[in-house]
Amino acid sequence: MRKMWKKTAVWLCTVFVLGALLAACGSDDGRTPSNGDTASRGEAGESGEGTAKPEPFQLKIMTNLHTPEVPHDEIEKLLEEKTNTQLDIQWVPDGSYEEKLNASFATGSLPQAVYMKNQATYIIFRDAIRNGQFWEIGPYLNEYPNLSRLDENVLKNTAVDGKIYGLYQERPLSRQGVIYRKDWADKLGIPEPETIDDLYNMMKKFTEEDPDGNNKRDTIGLTDRSDLIYGAFKTVASYFGTPNNWSLNGDRLEPEFMHPGYMETMKFFKRLYDEGLINKDFPVTSKDDQQNLIITGRAGVYIGSMPDVQSLHAKTAEIDPDAEYDVVNRIAGPDGAAGVWSIPGYGNIVLFPKSAVKSEEELKQILSFFDQLMSPELANLVKWGIEGKHYTLENGLVVKNSDTKMTDREQKPYEILQIGGESTIDMLKAYHPLPVKAKAEELVLDNNEILIHDPAAALDSATMGEKGIELQQMITDATYNFILGQLDEAGFAKEIERWKKQGGEQMMTELAESYQQSQK
Amino acid sequence: MNDELIRRIVRNRAVYLMILPGFLYFIIFKYVPMWGLVISFQDYRPYEGIFGSEWVGFKHYERLFTDPLFWRIFRNTIMLFGLNLLFYFPLPIILAVMLNEVRLAAFKRFVQTAVYIPHFMSWVIIVSISFVMLTMDGGIVNEGLASLGLEKQNFLLNKNWLRPMYILQVIWREAGWGTIVYLAAIAAIDPQLYEAARMDGAGRFRQIWHITLPSIRSVIVVLLILKIGDVLELGFEHVYLLLNSMNREVGEIFDTFVYTAGLRQGQFSFSTAVGFFKSFVGLLLVIIANWLAKKFGEEGVY
Repeated sequence: MRKMWKKTAVWLCTVFVLGALLAACGSDDGRTPSNGDTASRGEAGESGEGTAKPEPFQLKIMTNLHTPEVPHDEIEKLLEEKTNTQLDIQWVPDGSYEEKLNASFATGSLPQAVYMKNQATYIIFRDAIRNGQFWEIGPYLNEYPNLSRLDENVLKNTAVDGKIYGLYQERPLSRQGVIYRKDWADKLGIPEPETIDDLYNMMKKFTEEDPDGNNKRDTIGLTDRSDLIYGAFKTVASYFGTPNNWSLNGDRLEPEFMHPGYMETMKFFKRLYDEGLINKDFPVTSKDDQQNLIITGRAGVYIGSMPDVQSLHAKTAEIDPDAEYDVVNRIAGPDGAAGVWSIPGYGNIVLFPKSAVKSEEELKQILSFFDQLMSPELANLVKWGIEGKHYTLENGLVVKNSDTKMTDREQKPYEILQIGGESTIDMLKAYHPLPVKAKAEELVLDNNEILIHDPAAALDSATMGEKGIELQQMITDATYNFILGQLDEAGFAKEIERWKKQGGEQMMTELAESYQQSQK
Repeated sequence: MNDELIRRIVRNRAVYLMILPGFLYFIIFKYVPMWGLVISFQDYRPYEGIFGSEWVGFKHYERLFTDPLFWRIFRNTIMLFGLNLLFYFPLPIILAVMLNEVRLAAFKRFVQTAVYIPHFMSWVIIVSISFVMLTMDGGIVNEGLASLGLEKQNFLLNKNWLRPMYILQVIWREAGWGTIVYLAAIAAIDPQLYEAARMDGAGRFRQIWHITLPSIRSVIVVLLILKIGDVLELGFEHVYLLLNSMNREVGEIFDTFVYTAGLRQGQFSFSTAVGFFKSFVGLLLVIIANWLAKKFGEEGVY
């Protein structure tokens, strides 16, 4: 009897373990394990639908998420209702998006609509696009009233071999500028900076002349972070007249770091570092820490996206209600001209993998969803949220709810879904009660007058797709080493030679060829 | 013979059934994926699949071995591994022996639990805590140095500090956890040996030297061989979190390189080749270490 029992137990155990193993294998098909709640949501939607409507169209989307949590699905529900679609959105944390994108692509598990996050990731996929892995959508765009309004010039920037594969999200061409503590400047009698020297003097005075009046030398001029592009470096480089990524020299393309302006910028930062006008840890500082330095009154200048002044102001006011900010954009370089680098007019871009979208008919249905997304009503919904909850209207302008924790959780993540933008959709515009924010938005528009474009934006190089990140890393490292005094001018020149040898030269040749072709 | 085998299997079916899940696990998750190594000899394109991708032979291996970065990465990997072996490996043994000598059981259990805890913290937390302590902008270590009248050190951005930082963090997180196996081995030692030694007048240190350590020697050797097998597994996550522009020269190892080339840039074939090379070196070292162990009269792992 006892033996029997033992035997049964062994069998049971084995079956149980096997079962668990199989269950673990089976549950992972296509859905992201990271956000369990899309799964349950999908099932809830399936039952209990009315029978009068046609069957809702199933659409899986993968996109990047800037907030820490998967958003609440209220807006998603509304979208589903308005478009008669059943959405399954895979939210992937922004920081690991490239990884997820490549892994999904490698395993053939990309969903029907894939957001590319930005230009850099999009470039990596050019080779796959050329090999027919994604639907070409150019010829269909005219069939849709809203999609046909997308700007042709921007579409051209996204094209691969002259063909259009993606829908883009509009982005202002350049939001870069300088944000500084107006109250500090007034106190020390510093006027609005107009030249790069003015900017330097402001940082120096902010560091040395005790702008916060506590008789301690505990402030610095500039707060920066571990990002040479969206941090301060690239914007300052523009002030020194450095080209944007590439410069066109006859019919040769040269990278920005061969330009003397780049060297000047590195020297400028080296000076800031040596004189202690910038946070000492900036090559490892996160964006949060960088902003905290200015919010807590330890730094006085922030160079980056000017509209950030809104959140900086709000957070600073909690600590120091008297703090005041100002923004400025046209900083003249040594040659007296002001410039600012620009992006090619798009931020995110959506592609449609052939592995998931099987037929032209299905593609058309998906495009029709995005067409509806570009209607003013839905564009407002994803951009601003629900009226009365996430925003209110004042004289026809949007006033956002000031409870950013709530909007971050419920509305902000959906902004990423938007296709097109203010210049292609007749949508609501924001009201900026904070004058300096309104000024920042004006200056963003003013930036359009002084843009430095990237001449290689629409050009193509196979090496760039293959080794671009690795090569860029080399120069980024060399730049930081120069600023921190670990590398001199000759050392930096040597790094450039190394860059050339390891694929840079080839990249230059390929871009030049691509340029010549585009001129024909 | 065959009938005999089948009969034996049928007779012991319960045992075989119990092995089955583990067996399947190794087949499905360890052996089948090994075929994926094929892509390191191809220009792998996901949409063409393993069977459709172009065969390029040793192209990616050539690129790896001629890449000027290769030797730098190789050197960094070996260096970190050597330091790891030298400074980290003996620590759990020492700690386990010391814990074994603690007489108050409650205290011993408390210390044991306390030293296990860091193991359950992720590297992100360990690295972040170090970061906050070591930063130039108000980090406790630098403030301490300053108050002692010493010069502040930029620990985070100085490449000379990367290796010590790495080793200290490994010790902090893993040393306590590493004692488990040794403590178990020590517990299995026959108490009569100690009694006899005491009768002969051996003190504590003599007992440790002549009884405890020789008794766990084979365990130490096995763990050493296994550790050597992990030679190039230095913890991707850990090193990746420590890397920055200023210390990449000494900090880039195979794992971080595979990540950059493979996952961020989508060069699946090349990064597979790098990973394969890494595992191959690991295998070679295990064989050598095992052979050496047997030479010296130990059991080895196989």
